[in-house]
Amino acid sequence: MLWVAIGILLKILVVVSIALGTVAYLIYVERKVAAYAQDRVGPNRAGKELGIPFGLLQPLADGAKMVLKEDVIPGYVSRPLYMLAPVIAIVAAMIGFAVVPFGPVGPNQIMNFQIAPNINIGILYVFAIGSLAVYGIILAGWASNNKYAFLGALRSSAQLISYEIPLGMSILGMVLIAGSLDLNQIVNWQDRRVWGVVVQPIGFLLFLVSAFAETNRLPFDLPESEQELVGGYHTEYSAMKFGMFFLGEYLHVITVSYLTVLLFFGGWSLPFHLLNQNQIGFLSAVFKVMVLLFKVALMILFIMWVRWTLPRFRYDHLMDLAWKSLIPLSLVNLVATAAIVQLIYSSR
Amino acid sequence: MSTEFTPIFLFLLVAVAIALSMMIASAVLGPHKRTKVKQMPYESGMNPFGDARQRFDVRYYLIAIVFLLFDVELLFLYPWAVAQWSGGVPAATSAPAGSTLGPVGIPAEFRSLVFWEIQFFIVILAAALAYAWKKGVFEWR
Repeated sequence: MLWVAIGILLKILVVVSIALGTVAYLIYVERKVAAYAQDRVGPNRAGKELGIPFGLLQPLADGAKMVLKEDVIPGYVSRPLYMLAPVIAIVAAMIGFAVVPFGPVGPNQIMNFQIAPNINIGILYVFAIGSLAVYGIILAGWASNNKYAFLGALRSSAQLISYEIPLGMSILGMVLIAGSLDLNQIVNWQDRRVWGVVVQPIGFLLFLVSAFAETNRLPFDLPESEQELVGGYHTEYSAMKFGMFFLGEYLHVITVSYLTVLLFFGGWSLPFHLLNQNQIGFLSAVFKVMVLLFKVALMILFIMWVRWTLPRFRYDHLMDLAWKSLIPLSLVNLVATAAIVQLIYSSR
Repeated sequence: MSTEFTPIFLFLLVAVAIALSMMIASAVLGPHKRTKVKQMPYESGMNPFGDARQRFDVRYYLIAIVFLLFDVELLFLYPWAVAQWSGGVPAATSAPAGSTLGPVGIPAEFRSLVFWEIQFFIVILAAALAYAWKKGVFEWR
């Protein structure tokens, strides 16, 4: 029992340190992508003295700056809630990873590339944890006692709860087809048949749009919208508390990219069954992890590319998109999927 | 509740520990110079006026209520989506290793009945959406 717990703890520490390291470099990549999108060079100084090119040490410098800056707590905030909000934001972003499979999982595999492998409600858990992020944002906005923060939190909570509905409905088709909420089972189904994006193209689009909104990324970054609201809900936060909201946001980007790949792009599987679930052993596991990572990296780059391509929505357009387009569309998609699945599966 | 969820609780502990250590590190390592201006709420350099916690638009409440409706209904749809075809179709595999649940799912003879029931359920849901729409809940001027 003790050794099992130590094994799980080791896995958790590996995942957390890789995730936080990735986040640090994602911020660097984001700045580089932004720079090239705007015909600039981007960060290229940090590490020059040590002979490290392209400013690759920038994330270290950023991290050090976050910790070493003054942690201002304004006089008018409600301190307990003000302190609690960033903790909720980053904890909710981190523990979502518990059920995300980073590679093959199963009784015959060399190891389970998943922190909690036997949870059969995987995707439901991810959504439940993901919606906890609302609490971090609304508590931050309320506790700050600042008009910008308050407005940002209001907008943000309305946006997050609105887009949670199409997000939840968009995956129902995939769950129905694969007959499981377990992400591994869904990936295995896609490995046997086709990728989810082929059988659920509308579901994929709905998921993608809602996921952008749930991560507060541009074109849906109304909660922050720095031109109108300064910083939105984290206006009054400084030093590492601000950094925690920032880390939480990028952790959400990674989670969402993993989910997209696992639900709609076959997870670790390749076309033509080059990698399939019957392969066991070290080499295939390594390849599967690499393939999954590659797909996730492409997805993250896509998210960044969209950020620097599309302008921000107006707030009424944003709510219209959720309630008047995405939710009716997802209802139609659900009915159509259920009917088609009923026809196909019952004729077997 | 079984050992399946133990890793999640461990992860929760680790995550809280990391979050707290970040806050403590920042509080210990950073400088602390309180000034009167720093303690003020930030309003782009203007002197703040009034209370930040003002009354706000009633539409936010309406959206939240409609959200509650949809979110609860959505929770009914998840078990259905899992159960509808997991009772003996070749596509559905056996329960994952270590799971205490046996094969679950809707028996074949009830599938079309359940299918029509769910369609009816979704129609009611759509009617609720149409009603809220007509009442102008989603109009943001």
